[in-house]
Amino acid sequence: MLFGEEGQEQLQEATIFIAGAGGLGSPVSIYLAVLGVGTLIIADNDRVDQTNLNRQILYRDQDIGRRKAAVAGERLQEVNPDIMVKAVDATIDQHTVSSLTRDADGIVDALDDFPTRYLLNKAALEKGIPLFHGGISGFFGQATTILPGKTPCLRCIIPQPPPAEVFPVAGVTAGFIGLIQATEVCKYLLCRGDLLAGRLLLWDGIQGRIEEIPVETDPDCEACAGKCRGMS
Amino acid sequence: MIHVKVTVRFFARFGELLGNTQEIEAREGISVADLVKEAASGNKAGYDTIFDEEGAFRDFVIVMRNKKRIRSQDAGSIPVGEGDEIAVFPPVAGG
Repeated sequence: MLFGEEGQEQLQEATIFIAGAGGLGSPVSIYLAVLGVGTLIIADNDRVDQTNLNRQILYRDQDIGRRKAAVAGERLQEVNPDIMVKAVDATIDQHTVSSLTRDADGIVDALDDFPTRYLLNKAALEKGIPLFHGGISGFFGQATTILPGKTPCLRCIIPQPPPAEVFPVAGVTAGFIGLIQATEVCKYLLCRGDLLAGRLLLWDGIQGRIEEIPVETDPDCEACAGKCRGMS
Repeated sequence: MIHVKVTVRFFARFGELLGNTQEIEAREGISVADLVKEAASGNKAGYDTIFDEEGAFRDFVIVMRNKKRIRSQDAGSIPVGEGDEIAVFPPVAGG
């Protein structure tokens, strides 16, 4: 086994919360399921639409109109019957974020709006668990791993929300960034390698270039007030 | 007038509209903000994506000077120097 029995047990004992079962949530959840992460909690409040199918690979044509949480739960359990999947049909907001993340060892940000991402950031800071951030648009994407107390938080890095996306996402971009997030989760749970901690990865699929920029703590950050140490 | 050679790099959507890299000979003492405005001046859609109606950086835009982030509100008072690399990029929100 690639990770050894001990590594596989570490994965089996972990609980990961995946916020969103869309473009990023699809590849993240499928790969964490086949990786053998013991408990996956995935939340979404939407229905499957035909326009989702270019990138939301949890779903098929016959799923159109069904609740995403229900389909995601079935599909993830199919790909790995040996893990526990809790698919929650819920809106992630200030009232639900605490209970949704209560048992999590890490949070995957697979959302498509920044106000809700900031709620996840706050929950991660309060619980002291990592937030695996990803964002995509067209052929472009970004990813970073936030370790409370060690790295800048999401609000230090992106203090003001970018405008809602008006450009469609290329399915391959969701796959690319989603798998970077899943790789980060894997490394974190196994305590291996270098995480994208204090580094923001930028993917330009049109140019075929990856860049990374160091990120720093903002002493005036309204989420962490600069209490997260910069690693850059 | 003395000029400095600087590089302006635009990422993601900004790069699509304005070109990914521009080598510019700018007047000595020009601010980071004015340099980026000059680099973006050839494409109105690109310019308007980065700057608001008052000519200030839109608040989500991230500006880096020599791989170090600067606050966009300070970019009007920070001069660029010979060989500087200014990078401008938009975080993206989709998922």
